Amino acid sequence: MDQPKTSLSYDELLARMQQIHWFHSIALRPGLTTFGPKTELILAHEEQALLGCLDLHGRTVLDIGAWNGHFSFAAKRRGAARVLATDSYTWTHPHFKGQESFELARAELGLEIDTQLIDPTEITGDLGLFDVVLFLGVFYHLFDPIDVIQRLRSVTGQVLMIETHQDALEKTRPGMVFYPGTTLGGDATNWWGPNPPLMLSLLKQIGFARVMYREYPGEVMYRGLYAAFTPEADPAIAAGFGVEWRDLEAPGVLDSLVVAA
Amino acid sequence: MTRAQDALPKAVAAHRWLQSLRLRPNLVTPGVVGEAHLLAEEEAIFGPLNLSGAHVLEVGAANGYLSFAALRRGATRVLATDHLAWTLPGADAQAATELAAREMGLGIETMALDPRALTAEFGKFDVVVATAFFEQLFNPIAALRGLRAVTTRLLLIETLQDAQDDGRPVMMAQTLPMPFGGPSGAMVPGWAPNPPAVLHLLHTLGFSRILYRNHPTLGSQRGIFAALLPAAPEGVLEGFGEPWINLTHPKG
Repeated sequence: MDQPKTSLSYDELLARMQQIHWFHSIALRPGLTTFGPKTELILAHEEQALLGCLDLHGRTVLDIGAWNGHFSFAAKRRGAARVLATDSYTWTHPHFKGQESFELARAELGLEIDTQLIDPTEITGDLGLFDVVLFLGVFYHLFDPIDVIQRLRSVTGQVLMIETHQDALEKTRPGMVFYPGTTLGGDATNWWGPNPPLMLSLLKQIGFARVMYREYPGEVMYRGLYAAFTPEADPAIAAGFGVEWRDLEAPGVLDSLVVAA
Repeated sequence: MTRAQDALPKAVAAHRWLQSLRLRPNLVTPGVVGEAHLLAEEEAIFGPLNLSGAHVLEVGAANGYLSFAALRRGATRVLATDHLAWTLPGADAQAATELAAREMGLGIETMALDPRALTAEFGKFDVVVATAFFEQLFNPIAALRGLRAVTTRLLLIETLQDAQDDGRPVMMAQTLPMPFGGPSGAMVPGWAPNPPAVLHLLHTLGFSRILYRNHPTLGSQRGIFAALLPAAPEGVLEGFGEPWINLTHPKG
């Protein structure tokens, strides 16, 4: 770990950390890791699954729903030339204080990352075109994910990486389950659980040429990882996709993902 | 037969028709959907209502059958709209609808409109009706929001259904041949929800009382939903007897 990049003392940094509700566990200094329920181990597995397959050197990366910033920081550390971290809900939430948490971690880690306070429902092509777009843990929090996924197509230059809760896994046809109120996990911000055939259908219809899927690391059945490539994607960017990633249009792949009811 | 009457069959034959509209006692447009089916659908959708003096918006009007019916049933303003069938290359359904309106002397307004673009600024309508709704929309969630924004009392939705053996609210995606208008062989991506999905989507959007019935001729393959906003007077419900089911306030 690098030397501290801020002038905060250990106690001052700890006090700042304690004023914030953290989601990501981020090691800011030796012995000082933020207190997120997403542990460093979980995040390391997720990061390896999502970013380990990509060559990010010199690439531009857009992180949607960055919250405390783990994946933005990881993309930068993995060589991305530019990272734009965005969020709205957690960054403006009075309890989560997401933007304050992100700024504290970014300053402490000394990483050059751009930020923009923008809700995914407001993203347009005006934001720019990014080689890699990260859309992690956001799809199912949207009342209208169809609109947002269309918006993301307009800012994706090469590959859109999606991590999401999923459902209707017993169905062979594309579909998604709606969660009114607090049906899913007691959380009123959870709206939809798509199945892999649906993600394939949606992503293909909005102009992605190829959709790869892999299981969430740790065999969590109700989450899935998707990589959707634009027709213009540089083949080199996908060179690291191993056997755990499967082309959803390859024979038998969708059938193999069906889970008995 | 006058010259104008003589020209009408030729004018009708120049269009493709989805709906069979009786323009004259002996002249019916050659629609894919017959008069009996349309009449049964009209009675199922509008039968429970008193439309006298109402402002009505129809979304997905095709050839305007329900818009004409609303005007005949006493509505004072009817705006018929459609999107794909009126705007795809080669689509002439709007012109056909306007021909029918002129011929029947029914003063409906027409407008090509994507329901996703509807906002409160567009205007307010006592009754909004949309048929073949989910199945012809890539994004029915945005369209439902649009309909909600312009409805003051009652929203009527008719749609293809699926996943009815599933107790969870579910929408299934599908791509079907476009039944009408547009290039030959055009496919339309859309959805087929089950009744719990429509119920909870409408409830989440602020509709407080939601009723349901099966389609009058196609049964549970298709469903009709009537969704009332809190501002709708209680009396609006009086006409909704069997086979309507009150999903939000079931008896007993």
